[in-house]
Amino acid sequence: MNAVPAFVWLIALPFVGAPLAYFSRRRWVIFGIIGALWVIFGLQLLQPRSTHYRVGEVNLGLDGAGVLLAGLALTLGTLIGVYSSAYLKHESGRARDRHDALLLILIGALLGLGCATDLFNLWLWLELLSGSAWMLVAFHGNRPAALEATVKYVTQSMVGSALSLIGVALTLWQVGSLDLARISTAGSSPLLLAAGGFLVIGMGLKAALVPLHTWLPDAHSQAPSGVSALLSGIVVEAALVALLRLLGALAAVEFSWGALLIGCGCLNLIMGNLMALRQSEIKRMLAYSSVAQVGYMLIGFGITALSGDPGGAQGAFFHLITHALLKGLAFLAAGVMAVGLVRPLTLADLGGGAKRAPLAAMALSVAVLGLGGLPPLAGFMSKWQIFVSGFAGSPGWVQAVVIFAALNSVLSLVYYAPVALALYRQTDTTATRVAQPVSFSLPLLVMLLVSLLLGFVPGLMETLTGEAGAVLGSLWVP
Amino acid sequence: MNTPAVAFVGALVLVGIGLVGTLTCRNLIKVAVALQIMMKGVLIALVAAGAAQGQINLGQSLAAIVLGVDTIGAVILLALSVQVRRRFGTLDVSALSQLRR
Repeated sequence: MNAVPAFVWLIALPFVGAPLAYFSRRRWVIFGIIGALWVIFGLQLLQPRSTHYRVGEVNLGLDGAGVLLAGLALTLGTLIGVYSSAYLKHESGRARDRHDALLLILIGALLGLGCATDLFNLWLWLELLSGSAWMLVAFHGNRPAALEATVKYVTQSMVGSALSLIGVALTLWQVGSLDLARISTAGSSPLLLAAGGFLVIGMGLKAALVPLHTWLPDAHSQAPSGVSALLSGIVVEAALVALLRLLGALAAVEFSWGALLIGCGCLNLIMGNLMALRQSEIKRMLAYSSVAQVGYMLIGFGITALSGDPGGAQGAFFHLITHALLKGLAFLAAGVMAVGLVRPLTLADLGGGAKRAPLAAMALSVAVLGLGGLPPLAGFMSKWQIFVSGFAGSPGWVQAVVIFAALNSVLSLVYYAPVALALYRQTDTTATRVAQPVSFSLPLLVMLLVSLLLGFVPGLMETLTGEAGAVLGSLWVP
Repeated sequence: MNTPAVAFVGALVLVGIGLVGTLTCRNLIKVAVALQIMMKGVLIALVAAGAAQGQINLGQSLAAIVLGVDTIGAVILLALSVQVRRRFGTLDVSALSQLRR
């Protein structure tokens, strides 16, 4: 058995566990499986990095970026598992079992995506990820709005997967192999450029590159809050990492993928921010802000793709972590605020929130201000890291983009700050404190503390992001 | 042109037809059918690409996996269509416009 590295069990276990969680109808099963996943993950961390496992044609490997994704997926998955105990209290037992099983499949797909080293596997895991995300968005499928969001998500996502498969077929035609390492040695050809184009559009749809983002605000705002936290926090970003891995394999193609990524990043920033400004629903605003936050990551990764300097990717990975924590925290806190509401939570509902639910109000304020990039919160530190790498030895236009991104960060405070203000403005004097269950407070508290800690000690994640950034950076060495 | 190349061009045409159908059809079931046309084009493209490289087995096994995955997508979309018909009383996608902001 020693031939099978630990991470293979890490991928396999959620898929064994999902039917178990569904049919056993016991809530502790999901926690048992997540606990086991943590143990295996810990064991894997003790082993040397870049272990590989080959099953026939399929080659799986865990590198720095995979470890980062896996750690983040497990952290968010655990916290959301705890959170949903209280959030789904009023749902039927069957609905809760379905939620748990899908959550496990989602975690499993994220773990698998981090380990994929060939083009087809990247596609397959991404598809599995989307599939479980569709079903989770459709959790409240009896509500017309949720139904509408799911229909949009599924149709757009399927178009994306078909287009990326055309890219896969073109690559197979040209190279004769789908292994990313083999593709990267194939040199440049018009066919590979076309393949890259199809793959960017197809996977860009799932990573919400503007103008392919239209499904995201609907899907993320209509999903249950815990699911929104996962979708915004890591699912979109995992698709982005998948896209970057395959673009890294196509780095030899004579086309400036870096400029494309930075261009898309700028579009994401301005589109996400302008649309978020117009929203009064909190979850929808947070969803649009995810579009904008992906823009910062795109710029960071784009800087690496342009120059081969891993600093940009390192900053982008750090932003991926802080965004996952802060956006997750914001969605979870918004979910706590929305308990008992039948309509979506709006800015007006937040009045007196600090009195009703002090912890959730605190969490939501820290999360939105952090996302807005207020120093010394975590969101500022990660954006700063991206901006610094943009100034270090980049051409003038990249430096202009960095200034544009920094201005956008200020712009985003225009819609983030009112949330914190509304929570602490004493408009509702009748508000009284409502006791929150532990399964609400615990995830909020953990994420709040970790995100505060990351703001004050940003070096904490340096090993993790450094390794992940080096993996992507090594693909782009000019 | 050799056979795989002809097949590949044919596959691209199918994908194009499917894409146009997805964008223009108003009926949700027709959208699901258009998506299937797209996916079937993709299957041919994968097999043709495998054949062009003398690895027909690789192309075919990829196509078989895609077949499974896209069936799941089709089933979910059709299940959603049933729900849409129940909640909205129509299959017209333009009725799904609550979230257009």
